[in-house]
Amino acid sequence: MAGHDAVAALVAEAVGGSRSALARLISTAERGGDDAAALEAALLPCHGESYSVGITGAPGAGKSTLASALTTELQAGGERVALLAVDPSSPLTRGAILGDRVRLQPHLGNPDVFIRSMASRGHLGGLAMATCTARRVLEACGWPLVLIETVGVGQAELDVAGATDTVLVVLNPGWGDEMQANKAGLMEIADIFVINKADRAGLEATRRDLEAAIAANAPARRPAIVETVATEGTGLDALRAAIAAHREQATASGELAQRRRARAVTELRDLARARLELALDGQLAGPAGEALAGAVTRRELDIDSAARRLVADLLNSDSQRGASRGDPEQDTP
Amino acid sequence: MSGKRILMAKTGLDGHWRGPTIVARALRDAGFEVIMIGMARPEEVVQASIDEDVDLVGLNIGGHVDVAVRAVNALNDERPDLPVFCGGVVPPHAKRRLEALGVEVYPPGSQLPDIVGAARRLTGLD
Amino acid sequence: MNDRAMNDKNSAGKTWTSASGIPLKPFYREDDVPAQHRERLAAGPGEPPFHRGAYPTGYRTKPWRIFQLSGFGKPEDENARIKFLLEQGETGFIMEHDRNTGDHCYNVDHPEVVARREDVGLTGAVMQSVRDIDICMKDLPIETSYAHAGGAVVQHAPFALAGYWTVAKRRGVALDRLPGTGQSDYFLTYLGCVTKQQVPTDVGLRFNADIMEFCDRHLPRWVPVSIAGYNAADTGLNAYQELGALFANAVEYLDEIQRRGTMPIERAARGCGGVSFRMSMDLFEEASKLRAARLMWQQLLAERYAITDAKVANLRIHCVTAGSRMTYQQPLNNIVRGTVMALAGVLGGVQSLGVSGYDEALSIPSEHAHQMSVRIQQILQEETNVTAVTDPLGGSWYVEALTAELVEKAWGFFEEIQAQGGFLASLDSGWLHEKAAENQHREFMAQETGEQVIVGVTAHTDDASPYEVDGFMGVDDAFDVALERLEEGRRTRHEAGAADALRQLERVCRSSDNIMPAMMDALEAEVTLGEIGDVWRDVFGDWATPIQT
Repeated sequence: MAGHDAVAALVAEAVGGSRSALARLISTAERGGDDAAALEAALLPCHGESYSVGITGAPGAGKSTLASALTTELQAGGERVALLAVDPSSPLTRGAILGDRVRLQPHLGNPDVFIRSMASRGHLGGLAMATCTARRVLEACGWPLVLIETVGVGQAELDVAGATDTVLVVLNPGWGDEMQANKAGLMEIADIFVINKADRAGLEATRRDLEAAIAANAPARRPAIVETVATEGTGLDALRAAIAAHREQATASGELAQRRRARAVTELRDLARARLELALDGQLAGPAGEALAGAVTRRELDIDSAARRLVADLLNSDSQRGASRGDPEQDTP
Repeated sequence: MSGKRILMAKTGLDGHWRGPTIVARALRDAGFEVIMIGMARPEEVVQASIDEDVDLVGLNIGGHVDVAVRAVNALNDERPDLPVFCGGVVPPHAKRRLEALGVEVYPPGSQLPDIVGAARRLTGLD
Repeated sequence: MNDRAMNDKNSAGKTWTSASGIPLKPFYREDDVPAQHRERLAAGPGEPPFHRGAYPTGYRTKPWRIFQLSGFGKPEDENARIKFLLEQGETGFIMEHDRNTGDHCYNVDHPEVVARREDVGLTGAVMQSVRDIDICMKDLPIETSYAHAGGAVVQHAPFALAGYWTVAKRRGVALDRLPGTGQSDYFLTYLGCVTKQQVPTDVGLRFNADIMEFCDRHLPRWVPVSIAGYNAADTGLNAYQELGALFANAVEYLDEIQRRGTMPIERAARGCGGVSFRMSMDLFEEASKLRAARLMWQQLLAERYAITDAKVANLRIHCVTAGSRMTYQQPLNNIVRGTVMALAGVLGGVQSLGVSGYDEALSIPSEHAHQMSVRIQQILQEETNVTAVTDPLGGSWYVEALTAELVEKAWGFFEEIQAQGGFLASLDSGWLHEKAAENQHREFMAQETGEQVIVGVTAHTDDASPYEVDGFMGVDDAFDVALERLEEGRRTRHEAGAADALRQLERVCRSSDNIMPAMMDALEAEVTLGEIGDVWRDVFGDWATPIQT
């Protein structure tokens, strides 16, 4: 564990332009624990403003290729682009082969593109929280545009991609079972639907299907539809324009500010909940918890009263584990 | 949970993916986070190793040893503390040159447990 | 004893199977040959369904062609090595192009190549224009010798072929007399050694069909495309998967030609009826595989395309011994492996054969390794009497049963590929790669548990050899000379003519016309490899590689 001062020093280095410091800070965010908490504190005074775009969709929809082509398109306009490729870990051993970097080959070695594959290390708050911290790090270091790509359309992935300023949902002609199953959730988070591989059969039917589903949304929440063939670079200019239009509209209408505030509430709730759970675990493992558990087992105390007392104790105790965030292995006594 | 990250790259332009893929899967199964970037030039390997903040670099090499040596030197210059290991078609004379640069070499016929063991040792897990 | 009871296990509990996992009995009897395969047993070599051989007289009238992959360095280095091999008794020649530049259609000044300049010339001679190809072909007997002109890779073949043909034309050799092949194989770079950049698979299909049409019109003695099961097998597909995938690939070509309707389907079938397979270490399965291949080709043409002409339906086979079975440890053992694998091909009835160098796991072949590859074949041809009798394994209950089993399993795999949407779709989706990876993984596990033994690697590792075998590192000046020649070529060619030819090529690429006439004009006008590659990249884009490479 590096400690508060070391993290602050690293932040200063990263903000000063050190790419390796930036990369190490993202690792700090991934690891969670006290250092991640220190990192958030150190980022607070940093200035910088970035815009984030989430990219989600079923595996095989062509998200990585699209992310790569979009990066090229945005780069053509002179923008520096950071891309976070977010993968879940394999549950058994928590190893993973990360990121579809083979499709990001064109950006290898480009100083104006920062690509980072991120994995869940299984700490509390999960990857969504680490990704938010990573985004703030990039923001502090002056990366104006952060693309966040996830691997699938499970709840964890939707949480990650949904916590961005513009959300792209990528699908193909014919949808696919996984997308159909998650249709409602996708409708809720999408700002732009991208029909990738639009040169394939079934484009028209998919478009009609989408339009019908979108029509159920309130007029202000009707996502645009863009067609692309990312492998050939077609439709990327339209996608870029659609992102710009959404950004402009959301900024002007105040929706962006509202969304960011809602996101802060969500993050706050998640983090607070993670902290509560940690503290609760600590309490349960301590003498007070032992005593309550014993009383319940001996039928001296009913379980509900025991739970109330536990919470009351928790809220009254001035938690000394205050600064901790995240990693139970590090935080549990 | 190791949380250790390994970058895997190929220095040559020939695209044999079989060996690196098998090694990547074995490393993943042993708990590593493996980031494969495919065929990459020395400066690309260096930048990816920095951005991805990895603990170890695995180079799949083939062809002329000078190409691999350039990549190793670039890594040693930019990140002297970062360990590197190599696999691929590495004749004995090339193996000796790479080992002289502090690189562990696993030629064809190397067994996966040995490679995984090296990854654990080089990332400080063992 | 009941057949099932004695099937595939001995007292130690070991499961006996072929390399592809087919259960094996301790011995075979007549009734192990399935009923539907009995009828064909009466057929002779050169008769449908051809499992016994493509030709009736076998090696008595025409020994297999000794056909070694060769090439490195500058074009003149490769020319010298080819002449050396011809002097050693090779009976055809393979003109390998440098793969760093060739596979990607890059000139040597491309940044990706410059970054790996020492690799240039390691896998073949650097040939960026017709001038380089001319040097490589100097004094070679192109009218009489069957040549592999290079262009093993789909996007490179139009360049390599047009270059070879242009030099032949300049030398006054009539194209309709010219024998040879290119290959243009998908397995090599879409499954095996996936390149950094290449045209999408459907564009490759167009290229190959264009080459077939062009050969049909101008080069009747040329084998326009040669599907290389070798590359499928060396990537991990087993014997029957190699067969199934190879024919699934052939069907793509034939269906495309049928769609076009520009040439008779019989001639198209003839045009892709020269294929290559890998020979590996399971002697009887590999020999049976070649018998199965001929049988399947005959069935496929008869049933799917109503082709029954015996001159079309006999598959001609080239084999290469498995490079991936050559070990790094105790490399001289590989001479024995090469011999056994070569024998498998001969027993299966190959038309031509290449033996991988014993130093394959260390580098490209040294001159000595090359010589040994030729010698192995000469010993088989001249000392062992295996050329006396055609299909010597015919009638062996084991081999006939194994042949039948491979045919059935291979058609099963063929159907699986069709269910994926066909061969190209199975490449685009990565499905075929996954099949190969599964087998590779299984093989690794089997080696680790000791179930599969590799002598000198997983067992018997004590090495008393006094010989140091080291890698061959080619020549030092290949890159520098290629760069000089590239610049000189650009300086001295007729620039307006080259620019015109290149523009015309781009126009043709954007149309649906055959690209080969424009390629011939481009090579004649000294347009370079990298300029043509830029047209590919510009017009056709990049294949969306489905795997982590």
